[in-house]
Amino acid sequence: MPLGLLFIDTLWTRVLQGNPMLEIEAQLFRVPVEQATSAAGFDPALRRVVAERLVIWGALIGLAFAPPFVALYYYQVWILQRVNQKLRVDLLSHLQGLSLRFHSDNTVGDAVYRLTQDSAMVTQLVQVLVLTPFTAIPQFLYSALVIALFAPKLGLILLGVVLPSLVAGGWFSQRMRTRFRMARETNAALTSRIQETVLGIKIIKAYGAEKIEQEAFEGASHQAFTAAFGARNLYAVYAMGMFWLFGTFAILITALGTVEVMKETELAATVLGFTIWNLGLYNYFKARLGGAVESLKDVFRTWGRAQDIAIGLDRVFEVMDREPEIQDSPDAAPLDGVHREIRFIDVGFRYQADRPVLEEVNLTAQIGEITAIVGPTGSGKSTLMALLLRLFDPTSGRIEIDGLGLKTLQTGSLRDNVSIALQENVLFGDTVRENIRFAKPDASDDQVREAARVAAADGFIEALPQGYDTLLGERGSKLSSGQRQRLSIARAILKNTPILILDEPTAALDAVTEQRVLSNLSEWGRDRAVFLITHRLSTIRQADQIAFLQNGVLAECGSHDQLMASARGAYRALVEAERIAAEAAR
Amino acid sequence: MMATEPGATRGLAESEDLTHWQTLQVIGRAIRFVAPFRSRFAVKIGLIVISLLPLLMLPWPVKIIIDNVIEGHPIDQPIRPYPELIAPLMNALAGYSPSELLFIVIAFQAALFAVIGAFGTTGSERESTEGYLASGYDTASRTENEANSGFSLAGGLLGLFDFRWTMRLSQALNHHYRSQLFKRIETLPMPALDDERIGDAVFRVMYDTPAITNASYRLLLTPITAPLHILMTVAIISSLYGDHPELVYCALAFLPIAFFSTLPVAGSLRRMSGRSRKAGAAATSTAEEGMSNILAVQSLGGEANQRARYETDSWRSFSRYRDVFRLGIYAVLIGAIPATVVGGYAYFIAIDGVIAGELSRGDFGLLTTYFFHIVTSAQLLGGLWFSVQDSAAGLHRVFFLMDTPGEEDDPNLPALAPIRQSIEVDKVDFTYPDGTAILKGVELRAEVGQMIALVGPAGAGKTTLAYLLPRFVGPTRGSVRIDGVDISEVSLDSLRNQIAFVFQETVLFDATVEENIRMGRGDATDEEVREAARIAEADGFIRELPDGYATPLGRGGGKLSVGQRQRLSLARALVRQAPVLILDEPTSALDPETEARFVATLRALNRDRIVIVIAHRLSTIRSADQILFIENGEIRERGSHADLVAMPGGKYQNFVALQSGAEDE
Repeated sequence: MPLGLLFIDTLWTRVLQGNPMLEIEAQLFRVPVEQATSAAGFDPALRRVVAERLVIWGALIGLAFAPPFVALYYYQVWILQRVNQKLRVDLLSHLQGLSLRFHSDNTVGDAVYRLTQDSAMVTQLVQVLVLTPFTAIPQFLYSALVIALFAPKLGLILLGVVLPSLVAGGWFSQRMRTRFRMARETNAALTSRIQETVLGIKIIKAYGAEKIEQEAFEGASHQAFTAAFGARNLYAVYAMGMFWLFGTFAILITALGTVEVMKETELAATVLGFTIWNLGLYNYFKARLGGAVESLKDVFRTWGRAQDIAIGLDRVFEVMDREPEIQDSPDAAPLDGVHREIRFIDVGFRYQADRPVLEEVNLTAQIGEITAIVGPTGSGKSTLMALLLRLFDPTSGRIEIDGLGLKTLQTGSLRDNVSIALQENVLFGDTVRENIRFAKPDASDDQVREAARVAAADGFIEALPQGYDTLLGERGSKLSSGQRQRLSIARAILKNTPILILDEPTAALDAVTEQRVLSNLSEWGRDRAVFLITHRLSTIRQADQIAFLQNGVLAECGSHDQLMASARGAYRALVEAERIAAEAAR
Repeated sequence: MMATEPGATRGLAESEDLTHWQTLQVIGRAIRFVAPFRSRFAVKIGLIVISLLPLLMLPWPVKIIIDNVIEGHPIDQPIRPYPELIAPLMNALAGYSPSELLFIVIAFQAALFAVIGAFGTTGSERESTEGYLASGYDTASRTENEANSGFSLAGGLLGLFDFRWTMRLSQALNHHYRSQLFKRIETLPMPALDDERIGDAVFRVMYDTPAITNASYRLLLTPITAPLHILMTVAIISSLYGDHPELVYCALAFLPIAFFSTLPVAGSLRRMSGRSRKAGAAATSTAEEGMSNILAVQSLGGEANQRARYETDSWRSFSRYRDVFRLGIYAVLIGAIPATVVGGYAYFIAIDGVIAGELSRGDFGLLTTYFFHIVTSAQLLGGLWFSVQDSAAGLHRVFFLMDTPGEEDDPNLPALAPIRQSIEVDKVDFTYPDGTAILKGVELRAEVGQMIALVGPAGAGKTTLAYLLPRFVGPTRGSVRIDGVDISEVSLDSLRNQIAFVFQETVLFDATVEENIRMGRGDATDEEVREAARIAEADGFIRELPDGYATPLGRGGGKLSVGQRQRLSLARALVRQAPVLILDEPTSALDPETEARFVATLRALNRDRIVIVIAHRLSTIRSADQILFIENGEIRERGSHADLVAMPGGKYQNFVALQSGAEDE
């Protein structure tokens, strides 16, 4: 910058060396022009005056620029955080939309790592794509131009450094990327290690596996550090190598420039009235050369880091680019309530080609009816319900609600019409109230209490130290499994939908509680289609229709009486077995 | 969503803030923690000193070029005498022409350049070595650079060596520290850990432990290297310019400036950093929960809610980080004015020296360079307290968990001999620290060969009673004895080795079927694994899996139905062949037929074992030798099924009536 040149020249050539000032400099520092530009007039006293102004003005300019500069930086941080936030939330959203199959094949720790660490790289994109290239590259070119104005040969040599730098940079890039990816993957694996250990801590304790887990953790930690070392070491070697290259050129150019000053060579072009190489100009030349090297260092360091940033973002977009298996067709319509029935028509499903889970299931459930789905473990009961929620699509056949195929409906609106109490009672790290409200965050406190009452959960909730405001842990030790089960029933009830699915709703309940829950439910479920997956005869007896699944095939379907009437029926055999057991008990 | 800021910690109460005194203690502890690495630290300090020496030489070639090459002063007629250290060198150069001098200097610079990566005095002519990578604007993403911190004042080959040494040291420190923390987490007693959010543990292990690097480097290296750097520089300046001590004073003034401008915000920085970490942990936890429970999120239509929760938590973590960032800015701005005044004054003195003819132009360049050397070190020292506050917050979070009493397995305790006779629970009370009584005066005696059923309403304390036996929890009063020996007086390892526990929730690991079963006993043979699977009624479906026993289960066994998972966890317990088998609702997800077969096999295996089962199903309960009916933490009735159903008006009778009434017509 001309101002920078004038300041540096005034300091070195004028104040320090005592040469008379240039007119423009005298004007800038507001000293009498005639006195300052003459050799006799520019005496030590005047030099001190100029020195004082130089220092004070320089300091003031620096101080004046600090607050806006800092404010701008802060603003930049805020904006980039917002960008990062958006990417994180979108990534989470997208992950939530991916199929259960995807989640079963990928670890939680990996997703967490992508969300927290990989996504953060987006904040550096502006630096990499805009700030560094748009400041450092012009700065380098400007420096080269200025030096070329003084001595074209030196300017050309400086430009010449670019070619070998690019070659070397290219050689390193691919190698760095491989190692950066390895570093991120091993760190994600370490995150999973911790997550899984804490999740399974009970088993680890009960089976005395602490030492094995500790060894596995230390192994993973060691692996992560080794990978990080490999990556960062290569990056440091790269930076050092690049600097060797720039430095060799810089030493050469400085040496040649020094020769010019010694010879007091004329400049190639007259710059601001300078005509020959003097000490001030030499120092400015050195500052420019330094600036050029600094910019190159900056560009190539950023380039090195950019490889890591690219890998981080690649890991984010790897997930973002994954199409969810279940997608709404463009003309999908919203489901506006369920008025008549739900029909499974020739429904078949398989996870793997040779292993059918469900085959040709035909089933109709009317609004106002309770359908019990019964059958041995692994017969496909839960899968049938997962198909109704469109967690998967059937491999063959179709499911219709009021005559509308599920695939013609918006998945979101479909799920809005179905509530489910899962077999495994999931709690979130939040209050009891928020846990019940999970599927319907805007429910009122009265609605929450009412749902808890239907699920026979109000009693124990009110007995908790802070009632509905009691904080629960993810695996909340404060509640027994029967209590957790009732919370998850309350959660399903609160959603208040025309279709209700209860997957083994009473397995962990004692008989008294079970009876209360069931009688509340049958009252509440009057105008709804209710699906019950259960093994308990007491529960099954409440159903209007019983669907008996065996090895993925609907073996029998009908009311209790109808099924009992068939002499060799599977259902009848089940009931008989239970009866004998119960009689023995008496 | 919630009125109060969601704490990442639930089960364990953690103090929000530390006093300065407590901070000192935390940091002192961190320093003691790294004691095993002291020799590696000593080498690092040596490397810093070695890197400093050539850096101090760097200004000389520049001075020679200005004074003796460009301005052409004869080298043996200096304006002021050379310092003793340099004088012989300079004298050796006397007599060379400017061009020859230039050549010599360039050669010298090139050599220095290869070794320490520096040939001049300004930043652009010097390279320090580091391997820091890009990080984001949040606490978590910034810690990876800390964990792998490597740096050197020098560049070139020396710098590379120093850098590698330092990064290895940082990694070793961090590995040691996080392994210790992980070990502690594994030994935390069960209830404490249950209420801890998983993401919080992840955050502490991954992102709080790297605070050890910064704290130990700042406190172990800076107090030695910074004064050393200052002393060396001052020695050179005073031997050269002894009559200008003002410059040294000016440079040293940066120490109090840095100290006093940062002191007022040091406490806030610590608090803000603590909050930022807590918010980061909460965001991590929320993400973890959502991913872990994806089935629930998707099937309940909780996507929007979960997204909103994460949005709130994530943005809070960004905001909290910005608070920390803002404090750093304040500290710099507060110090800027005095620093500029002092710096400007020093500059003016140096200029004045040149105008007065006391200093050469080369001296001026040299002096200002040395000046900034001192300033940098003085600022490092003055800002030391401030710069460790962020680490203190992280260290505090780590030490807090390390200090939570864990299950210490005292190696001096004798091992428990194999169980021959019985387990006795003698007048046991169990009360939570908050005063909630779970068990009251419970007594139980189980003989080898017996099967005991614990029955009662949900929340009666059945699971807690079962937890007493492997000492997952210790009784508040009373004792648990095995063959007459109090289990608190034997080693935990030997006790748990004799017990196989099946929990209500099935937990499977992301490994093959076989590995999951073998977790029960690492040295089980393939035949034993298959046998256990057969008893648990799991062999059939395992064989149908694509790779049979070698099929990877995926995360949490997600590819299996709940009933199948339950059978795998039964197999895991059975393969252990432990004398005590505790089953907490083991068959809730099994169909009655499978269950009946399982219970029958179990009875057959029961001859030389104790089986304790918690169940609601009559079919399971009935075959027990002894049934304990538990209600509100007390045992109301005990006896065989026949005895208890014969007891008129009994609670068990009532239970059976309800249960069989329900199961029957």
